[in-house]
This record gives sequence, structure tokens and C-alpha cells, in this order.
Amino acid sequence: MISISDIVKSYGNAGNKNQVLKGISLQITDGDFVVLLGASGSGKSTFLNVISGLERPDSGSVVYGTNDITKLTDEKLTQFRRDNIGFIFQQYYLLPNMTVEKNVRMGADLAGNRAYREMINAVGLEEKTGKYPSELSGGEQQRVSVARALAKKPKVLFLDEPTGALDEQTGRQVLDHISGLHKEYGFTMVMVTHNQNIAEMANTVVKMNSGKIAEISVNETQKTAYEIGW
Amino acid sequence: MKRKRPLMRSGGDRMVVGIKDTMKLIGILVIAGCAVFVCTLFLNYNVDLAARKGEILTQAGMAMYQAQVSTGKVVAAVSGGCLALTSVVMLLFYIKNYIDTHSKELGILKALGYSSLKIAKRFWVFGLSVFVGCVLGYVLAFLYLPSFYALQNAEHLFPEIKVQFHLSLAFLLIGVPAMVFSVLAVLYACLRLRRPVLDLLREKREHKTKVPRRETRDKPFLKALAGSTIRERKALVFFVAFSAFCFSAMVQMSMSMKDLSSRTMAVMMITIGLILAFMTLFLSLSSVVKGNTKTIAMMRVFGYRYRDCSRAVLGGYRPISYIGFAVGTVYQYVLLKMMVEIVFADVDNMPEYGFDLKMCAVTFVLFILAYELVMYGYSQRIRRLSLKSVMLE
Repeated sequence: MISISDIVKSYGNAGNKNQVLKGISLQITDGDFVVLLGASGSGKSTFLNVISGLERPDSGSVVYGTNDITKLTDEKLTQFRRDNIGFIFQQYYLLPNMTVEKNVRMGADLAGNRAYREMINAVGLEEKTGKYPSELSGGEQQRVSVARALAKKPKVLFLDEPTGALDEQTGRQVLDHISGLHKEYGFTMVMVTHNQNIAEMANTVVKMNSGKIAEISVNETQKTAYEIGW
Repeated sequence: MKRKRPLMRSGGDRMVVGIKDTMKLIGILVIAGCAVFVCTLFLNYNVDLAARKGEILTQAGMAMYQAQVSTGKVVAAVSGGCLALTSVVMLLFYIKNYIDTHSKELGILKALGYSSLKIAKRFWVFGLSVFVGCVLGYVLAFLYLPSFYALQNAEHLFPEIKVQFHLSLAFLLIGVPAMVFSVLAVLYACLRLRRPVLDLLREKREHKTKVPRRETRDKPFLKALAGSTIRERKALVFFVAFSAFCFSAMVQMSMSMKDLSSRTMAVMMITIGLILAFMTLFLSLSSVVKGNTKTIAMMRVFGYRYRDCSRAVLGGYRPISYIGFAVGTVYQYVLLKMMVEIVFADVDNMPEYGFDLKMCAVTFVLFILAYELVMYGYSQRIRRLSLKSVMLE
């Protein structure tokens, strides 16, 4: 369970302060698939960064079980990310001078996962293990980042607009891989998107507006990546 | 957030690199300056000494004359040659790096119809940094020449030698390097730009796909990253080794020079050596950290510790620096042995020269301390990298 209470986050200095998150509270159940939905500038990516431990809030708490990560030192927070968190970004952020295999090992080695090739196979890239990111299409690169994130066996997976740079067909493929792996491994998943259709795949949809939660809704049935509109 | 300077100004003809960019080549400027400084001292002295050759009447004077002229030639050729080669490698590295980091903008220019040569022509300005370095080296050498002449003729074996200005020498040491480096910069830039426009626009790196060997495949990520960091920037391997080489050779040589020549000569040598060593090391490590900023950021996001990042990115250069140190030690020993036993063989009162193991050990300890201190500084720089700013780039 992730308990988020009264998160406030601002940027800028005293004279020109911009409050991006204005006291957000949320509960995320283990194994849940949560989508953070909102327009550009609504604070959803900042919220994701704060709850994943990439950024510290000005106030409020983010508690995983009994562990408040806002109170952790830098070293402890790194250790926490290492043990619990996986990330997938819109821009992939693959290491350009490493092959697919080595990019996946970046995540796998942290968890001592020797069976990382299974993850490469699971995203359908077994033929491309020796390729460099520049030799892959956008969809393939995103699949590598999916394999890399999941090879470290995270308890919670954070995704920031994972299909934002992909066309419809490739986007559906990537989402299909992600949701398939979510069902198989049962990790918690928090995804930021501005695409309302993707929200239909989630259990919980959190709509954000101007740094606040505008609405929380629960989907009784989830659609697959090939059933949603685009 | 830091913004890149626009590559093309309103006119369209003044594009790509400008005068300001040449100032980033501080390393080449310093190395060129040191090379010209050393060469000016010895070659100007040789020319002025040769002009007074007929007035040297004693046998001891002639022996010293021969030895000093030979020394001048050897020092100018070896030091000048080594430093010129380093400057060339540094220039090529900088141009490659510049093209890689501005690949998208250069791709746009090519897509608009600018030819590789037209874009490459602007790279001539890199010759300016060599020019500035050479002028500085030449002027500094000229200021020091009277003391150097007095030092060389301390035993008064020659008639008084006055410092003369030689236009041809000035042209050879300033004009020629500046022109050669400008032409080299244009040609190399042109060669690097001869890539498909789409590759430039997509910032595609030149990788050859290969099936990794079993042992490579099984390498853990951190070891593989350390290896690939080195393979990706081979020029930096040269610079790190060169930096250790300079430290080792110049410090040990200067200690021997104190006995073989003079304290002033030793101070001059150690100063040049340390400037070159640290300048090259700082530039190399800055490039390594800058080139791996995104990698380090992603590693931090995934939960790698600072020390893992530092070790993977910087640690691979440590054995290379030790190799550079060893080569520097052998180089200075062979050079000095050659000078004492061959060049100065006929000169009276030359002290014996042998390998000084104690001095070598002390220099090695000093080197390790200095190197580790610099490495620590760069580890702290890695620690200060902001994840958000890197990811927003």
C-alpha cells in the first residue's frame, strides 16, 4: 500500500514561486494499475516524480507500507529505488553505447536477476539483443526500456507517458506488453498519460487539474490495449 | 536551463562555429603554448649560437657547442613533436565531439542544402586557438631567453650570445602551426560531416552491430559500462595516458636536471610538466563526466549508488594512467641516458646518470595522490548532478 498525504511541491524562489502540487493525498493498493490523467501542466509528472522518490516534496508524506520515503537520506532513498521501483519514460533514456542486452542488464544486475533474457524474450526482442538503441525503431526502444525496468523485479512500476512518442500501432503493442507483464508479475503500476483512452485499461483513474486531484474513478472492467480507442 | 547558441544567424552565411568556440580549446592553446615555448628557447638559442660558431676557439667550447646544438634539436623535435601530436589528437577529438553534440543542427543545415565543405570551412577558426597559444608561448619564451642564454653559457665557454629575433623562426613556430591546424580542422570536419543527413538529424551514432562473444555477453553491467566508456572515447584514453606520462617524465626528469643542468631548468621543466598533466587530465575527465551525464542520471534513477556510477565511468582510466606513468618513466630514463652518454659524451665534468629508483617511487606516490584527488573531485561532481535537470534536457 502506498499512502500519499498532503503533498505540496513548488518550484522557483520566494519572489516567483510556482506551486505545482497543492496538497495531494491518495492511497494506492498493491497490484493496482493507476493512471494519472491530466492536461499538460496539471502536475501529474511532478506528482509521479515525488511518489517514486525522484524528487522531494516541500511537505507531506509518501509512505510505502510503513516506510516514509520523504524522510529518507539520499543514500537510503537510492537503496529504496534500487529495491522497489522501476521506471519507464517517454524518451526511453536507453544507454546509447550499450546493446539491448546490456541495457536490460542495467536493471537486472541490481536485482541479481540472472534470467534477464526471459524479459527480453517477453517483449519480443530476442533477435535484437546485440543491437544498439540507434539501430532500433521507437517501439523497439520502448520495449527495451520495459524489459530493463521489469528485469529489476520492481514492486512498483512508474511510467511517464510511455506511448507519448509512439504511433498508434506501436503504442498499442507496447501497452499490450506492459499490461501482460503486469498481470503475470502482479506489481503495482502508476502511469502518467494525457490520453483518456489509455485510462480505460487501468483499475483506478486519477484526474488531475492545476496541481490538485479533480476526480478519482474506479473501472469495474479493464479494456485491453487493442480494445481502447486512440 | 543553459541554451545552446544558435548555429545559423540571420544572414545564413555565418554558421556553425564562431570565435567564441575556439576559446573552449583551452587545452590545445596551453599545449601549443608549451610546445612553442620549449622549441623557441632551444631553436632560437641554436640559431644565435651557430652565428657565433667561428668565435669558439677552445676544444671544450666546441664539444659543448656540439652537445648543446644536438640537445636543442633533440628537445625541440621530441618535445615539440610530442606536444604537436597531442594537440592534433585533441583538435580531432574536439571536432568529433562538437559534430556529435551538434549533430541535429548540422543535419538541418545539410538538409537545407549546405554542403559538407561549406559547413566544414567554418571550422578553420579552431586554428585560431593554436595561433593564440603559439603567440603566447613565443612571447613568454622571448621574455625568458636572456636568462636561458646566460644559463646555457654559465661556464663562459662561448663568447657572449645576444638574443636575436628571427622572422623565419617566428613564422615556423607561429604561422605554420596555425595554418596547418586550420586546414586540418576543415578537412577533418568535412570528413566527419560526410554522413547521411538523416543520420545527423537522428543523432545516430556510428555503431557496428556485432554478435557479442560469450565472455562479453556475460560481463556484468557495471564492468561492461566501464569498458564501453573507454571504447567510446579512445582519444580520452590517449589523453589520460599522456597526462600521467607528462607527470612521470617531467617530474623525474626535472629532478635529474637539477644535478645535470640547473635548478632553473628543473623548475621550468616541472612547471611545464605539471601544467600539461593537470590540464590534460581535467579536460579528459570533464569530457568523460559530461559525455556520461545522462547515463549517470539513469543509473541514479534506477538506484545505482554514487560510487558505482563513479567507478563505472571513471574507474576504467586508472590502469591507463599507470601505463602512462610507466611509459613516462622509461622515456625520461632513455632520453637522459642518451643525452649524457651520447650527446654530452665529450663534455668535461658531466655527472654520472643512473636510474633513481627512490625518486621514481616518490613521484609515483605523488602521482597516485594527485590522481586520486582529481578523481575524488570528479566523483563529487557526479554526486551534484541533478536528475531533473538532466532529464529535462
